[in-house]
Amino acid sequence: MVRRLIGYLLTLWIVLTANFLLPRWLPGDPLSALLDPTSASYVYDAEVRAALAAYYGLDRPLLAQYGHYLSGALTGDLGRSIRLNRPVSGLIGAHLPWTLLLTLTALSLAAVLGLLGGALAGWRRGSSADKVLVTLSVVISNAPVYFVGTLLLIVFGARLRWLPLAGGRTPFATYPSLLDAARDIGRHLVLPALTLTLATMGSQFLLVRNSMVTVLGEDFMLVARAKGLSSGRLKWVHALRNALLPFVAHLAAHAGLVITGAVFIETLFNYPGMGRLIFEAVGARDYPVLQGAFLAVSTVVLGANLLADWVNQRLDPRLRHV
Amino acid sequence: MSALLSVRDLHVHFPAVGEHQTPAAAATRAVDGISFDLRAGETLAIVGETGSGKTTIGRALLGLHPPASVQGSIRLQGEELVGLDETGWRAVRWQRIAMAVQSAGTAFDPVYRIAAQIAEPLRVHLHLSAREADARAMALARRLGLTSRHLRAYPHQLSGGEKQRAMLAMALSCEPEVLIADEPTSGQDVLSRAQLVALLQAICCEQGTSLLLISHDLAAVAQLTERVVVLYAGKLIETGDAAEILASPRHPYTWGLLNAYPTMTTARDLRAIRGSLPDPSNPPMGCRFHPRCTQAVARCRVEEPLLARSTGVASGGERLIACHLGGLQALLEATALRKAFRANGQIGRRPADDGVEAVRDVDLVVWEGEVVAVVGETGSGKTTLGRLLVGQLVPDAGQVRFEAQDLFGLSTAARKRCYRRIQFIAQDPFDAISPRLSVGKVVREPLEVQGIGTDDERQARAREALDAVSLPTDEGFLGRRAHTLSGGQLQRVAIARALVLDPKLLVADEPVSMLDASEQARVINLLKDIQSARGMGLLIISHDLALVRKIADRILVMQQGRIVEAGPAGRVISAPQHAYTRALLGAAPAFDW
Ligand code: SF4
Repeated sequence: MVRRLIGYLLTLWIVLTANFLLPRWLPGDPLSALLDPTSASYVYDAEVRAALAAYYGLDRPLLAQYGHYLSGALTGDLGRSIRLNRPVSGLIGAHLPWTLLLTLTALSLAAVLGLLGGALAGWRRGSSADKVLVTLSVVISNAPVYFVGTLLLIVFGARLRWLPLAGGRTPFATYPSLLDAARDIGRHLVLPALTLTLATMGSQFLLVRNSMVTVLGEDFMLVARAKGLSSGRLKWVHALRNALLPFVAHLAAHAGLVITGAVFIETLFNYPGMGRLIFEAVGARDYPVLQGAFLAVSTVVLGANLLADWVNQRLDPRLRHV
Repeated sequence: MSALLSVRDLHVHFPAVGEHQTPAAAATRAVDGISFDLRAGETLAIVGETGSGKTTIGRALLGLHPPASVQGSIRLQGEELVGLDETGWRAVRWQRIAMAVQSAGTAFDPVYRIAAQIAEPLRVHLHLSAREADARAMALARRLGLTSRHLRAYPHQLSGGEKQRAMLAMALSCEPEVLIADEPTSGQDVLSRAQLVALLQAICCEQGTSLLLISHDLAAVAQLTERVVVLYAGKLIETGDAAEILASPRHPYTWGLLNAYPTMTTARDLRAIRGSLPDPSNPPMGCRFHPRCTQAVARCRVEEPLLARSTGVASGGERLIACHLGGLQALLEATALRKAFRANGQIGRRPADDGVEAVRDVDLVVWEGEVVAVVGETGSGKTTLGRLLVGQLVPDAGQVRFEAQDLFGLSTAARKRCYRRIQFIAQDPFDAISPRLSVGKVVREPLEVQGIGTDDERQARAREALDAVSLPTDEGFLGRRAHTLSGGQLQRVAIARALVLDPKLLVADEPVSMLDASEQARVINLLKDIQSARGMGLLIISHDLALVRKIADRILVMQQGRIVEAGPAGRVISAPQHAYTRALLGAAPAFDW
C-alpha cells in the first residue's frame, strides 16, 4: 500500500507540473497575452492585472515561477479569477460540492442497479430476460447524453412540470428547516442525476454481467454447487462477491469519464457545479480558473482511484499478500 | 452384498454446441450406457484416459449436469437420484455424496479463507455453529496433514498439494456415504501419493464412507483399490478385481493402458496405444476401440460388444469385459517345448557325447500387438527356440499354437498357410539373401513362392514394403544386386521381404547384431515403429539386454535352455530376480542411448 501511495503522490506531482507547464507552452503564449496591451485578451482591470502578474510571475525565471506555483497550490492559493476577480480556490469550493453530489448520486445509483441487474442477468445467462437487458443497456449507454438529458427535460420538466428545469436549488429561496433544503436540492438533482445514471449504468451492467458469467464458469463455482449450497448463497456469497473485484476497479477507472459526463450535463441543466464553472471560464479565457478546475478534478479522480485500490485490497486477499 | 450406490445404464449426452446447429447435429456422448455398483465400505476405481467420461460420471453422481442430458438410473441405497430437482439434489450433495475435484488448485473461492470454505457445508447442512464447524474442520484438516496456518490462509497462499488435502478435508467434512475422489493425488509426489490414499481410506473406513477413485493411472490405483472399472470413450470395457486386472488385463485396451504407462524405473520408451481417442460426438461404429485394436475382426466394426463374463481368467473374481473375442488373444503360444540334439546332430553347438538339450520345457506367449524379447547368451538355446517357433525345426515334445491352432497338428498345407503369417528375420542377411538377386526380386520372392497376386500387384506390394523400411522404391534401387548393398540396407531389405506377406508375427533373431551401433539403434526403432503401426506381434531374440529394453513390452531371460526369468520389461530391468539376469545387466554396455 505504501508503494501505491508513493505512486499516487508521483502522479499528483505530474499533474501539478503539467498544469504549470501547459499554459506556458501553449502556442501564442496566452498567459503573456493577458498582460499585453496590444493583444485581444488584454485584461483591462488594473487590479486584476496586478494579481495575475504576481501569480504567474512571468518575468521571473521558470524555476522560480514553478516554486511559487507549487507552494501556492499546496497552500490553496490558485490565483484569482480574471472574470470574477475572486480567488479561484473559493470558486472551486463553491462549485465542487455540487458536482460531487451529482456524480456520487449518479454513480451509486448506477452501481447498485448495474450490480443487481448484472448479477441477475449473468445468473440467468442466455435467458430472454438476459437478452433484453443486454440489448437495452447497449442502446442506453450509446445514446448521446445531450439527447437523453433533453428528452428527460422536455418530458418531466416542461410537459409534466414535475421537476424544475434548471439550477441546483430555487434561487433566493430561504429554507425554514434542513428538510426543506434537502427536498428542494433533491428535486433539482433528480433529472441531471438520472441522465448521468443512465449514461453510465449500461457499461456497469454489462461489466457485472460478464464478470458473473466468467465467475460462474470457474471451478470453484462447480465445487460450491456440489457442496449443496442454496442458489442464493451461490449467487450472492460466491459469484457476485467475486464479480465485484473487476467491478470496483472499473468504477475507479470510470470516475474520470463520469466527471466529464457531468460537465456536459451541468451545462445542459444549468447546474451550479464544476462543469458550469469550466464552461464559463472557457468562454472568458479565465486561465487561473481553468487551471484550478483541472487540478481539482484530477485530484478527485486520483482520490477515487486510491479509494478503489484500497477497497479492492479489502475485497481481494490475493492483492493483500503478494 | 447389496450395493450402496448402483449405477445402471447411465448416459450423459451433451447437446451439440456451435453456430451451425442442425437438428441432426450429433450430441457428445460423454457417457454411453455405463453400469457399476459401489458396495458399502468399498474402494472402487474408475480408470480411463482424459475424455473417457470418467469425470463426467463423477459429476453425474452429484447431479451437476443439466437434467436433460442425463439418462439411466443412479440409486443411492435404493433411492433413485436421476430426475431429482435442484432441491432434491441439494439434500444429496455433500451430505451423502461428496466429491474432491481434480482441479484442486482452482476449486476454492479465492476470496474466503480455507477454514471458512471447509466449514461452509457443515454450517449449511448440519446447522453447526461457527465454532463447532471450525473445530470440526480443524480436526479433519489436521488428520490430512494441514495445520492451523493452512486453515487461516487464503487459497492462493497454499501449494497445490496442500490445496488437494484441503479439498479432501472439505469433501469429507459432512461424513458422506460416498466420496468421489477425482485424481486426488495428482499434485503429490509418488511417496506421499500412496500415503495420502492410505490415509483417505483409513478416514473413509472410520466414517463409513465408500470411496470412488477416479484416475487415469491404472497401475497406480489398482494397487489401492479392490475393484476397477475401465472406461474407453464413454463405454465400460473391463471391470473386475483390481489385483487381477493388474496381473492379467484381458481387454486389449486395458492391456495397452498398462503397457503404455511408464513406471518410474522403466527404461523403455513410453509407448502409447496406436491412434487416439475417438471424437465423442461421432464415435466409431461397433466396438469403439476397433480402429486402435490390433486384433479387430470384421464383426468389431459393425457390432457393439456387450459386457460379458470373461473366459480365461483363472481366479474366482468376477471379470467382465466387452470384446467380441473375449479379450486379448494369444498370438503365439508355446507350451512345454523341448528339443535336444545328438552330438552329431545338425545344429548342436556344444559337442557332447550324449546329446544336448537346447530347449528344455519352455513356455512362452506373445499376445496380440506385443513385443517380447528372449534374451540370453550364445548357447542358451534361444536360437533353437526361435527356429522351433517358426517351424524350421520340429520339437521333440510340446506344442506351438498360432492364433489358437496347433501348428504341428495341422496338415502340411494348413501349416504352410499359417507360416505365411509368421515371418522370420535371420541374424545374418547375407546368409538369408542370395547375393546375385536384385532387391526387387528378393522382396517379391515370397509372394511368388506363395503364388499371390499378379506381377504388378507383387511389384506394388514390394514397393510398399520397401517404403515401410525407409528404403528407396525407384527402379534403380529395385534393380540393384543384393551384394552391392551395405549391411544396414541389406537388413532392411530382409525386413521388407518379411513384411511383404503382411504377417501377424515377426520373429527376429539378433536382427541387428551385424550392424554398427548407430545403425543398430535405427533398425531396432524401425522394427518397433513397423510393429506398432501394423499392430503385429514381435518376438526378438537377442543377447543384448540394453538394446531390447528400449522396445520390448516383456522380457524373457533364457539360460541353458530354460526360461529363468520373465516379466514386464520395466520390472525385469529395474528389479531383476535371477542372478543370471543381473549378470546380463552388468555385462550390458552403458545405458545411455
Ligand atoms: S477384438 Fe474387437 S471387440 Fe475386442 S476390443 Fe478389439 S475391436 Fe473391440
